[in-house]
Amino acid sequence: MMKTDKIVEMGHPDCSCFGSLPYTRDYCITCGICSSSCPVSGVDGFDPRKVVRMVSFGMREEIVGSRWPWICTMCGKCENACPMDIDIPGIIRKIRSMRDRDHVPGILHKGLDTAIQTGNNLGLPQEDFTFILKDVGAEIAEEPGFENFSVPIDKMDANILTTIHNKLVNTHTDDLKHWWKIFYAAGEDWTVPSINWEGTNWGLFTGDDDRMKIMVGRIVENMERLQAKHLLWPE
Amino acid sequence: MEKFGTYTVFELLIKYIKEGRIKLDKTKVSVKAAYHDPCNYGRKAQKLFGHGFFEEPRWILDQCLEDWVDLYPAKMGQFCCGGGGGTLVTGYDEERIFYGRKKMEQIREAGVTMIVVPCHSCHGQLNALKKRYEMEDLQIKYLWELVSDIMVLP
Repeated sequence: MMKTDKIVEMGHPDCSCFGSLPYTRDYCITCGICSSSCPVSGVDGFDPRKVVRMVSFGMREEIVGSRWPWICTMCGKCENACPMDIDIPGIIRKIRSMRDRDHVPGILHKGLDTAIQTGNNLGLPQEDFTFILKDVGAEIAEEPGFENFSVPIDKMDANILTTIHNKLVNTHTDDLKHWWKIFYAAGEDWTVPSINWEGTNWGLFTGDDDRMKIMVGRIVENMERLQAKHLLWPE
Repeated sequence: MEKFGTYTVFELLIKYIKEGRIKLDKTKVSVKAAYHDPCNYGRKAQKLFGHGFFEEPRWILDQCLEDWVDLYPAKMGQFCCGGGGGTLVTGYDEERIFYGRKKMEQIREAGVTMIVVPCHSCHGQLNALKKRYEMEDLQIKYLWELVSDIMVLP
């Protein structure tokens, strides 16, 4: 019979620091299917099963300080494969939210900060934004069949209000044209707000619910201010 | 009480096509294409809202292209491109390029020269990936860009 040399006394791991959500309980059966399904398993020692175990063991400092939660894209492939239906993307986002805001990697938090202060991730002033829109609109009007095209900025009572991804008024202005041409061809009554037009919401990625809600609230404000009937939020 | 309605990009494009408000000419694009399911429109929408947008974009592709295929795996089992969740701007670029290798294998296996996406993050990531995986000839196309490209004006 196999002899056990030593029994490690684990006690009762305390995962309460991760909140009272169901996933913090020990539902994980440690099968490892999540890790096998994950395209980024193995990078920097990361795999989803380890993250779930660390949460179960209450290893807050280690996991919050690690860059694992930030190389995961929260794509949900692991969750879809999990036989216990553990919300691993939710765990990751929760861990991200616990990171000190000054240590959120890259420009994610800084961009959100700028958006909260100025209305968009770039800090682009209103007059520059409307200049870019009109400029791109004038380019469309030069194309055959689009002679009467113009960009309806802050139009009241439009059927559709659309948000704008910041990269489309930064490095990819030509990509503004696809939807605009479709609106024109379809005879749509549409508008773009001149303020708080940002369609991305980086609070979703950093786990910052408060700021995420502020950004969403501003879009609702635009809908109410301009009395638009439908929202298109292509981001 | 609802103060206003919403459209997803799919619903609006389908509405325009079905109501005949835009006319499409399938002969304008003759390349073989594939569709990439973004995580948030597909698997995550299915989990969060009970409806993943899988069939809507495929119906639109049917109106746009003679020759398009699904990647394997697709829909609930698809692979993320590696550009989601804010990873495009975390600075961990090597990691996300490595992450995307499976997506590029899928696309290569499908033998297509165009990949259609309805997501800004996927679009950016796929453009970064094609440079690194020597697939420079692959066209990365927004779904609405494809529609706009083949639109016939009255």
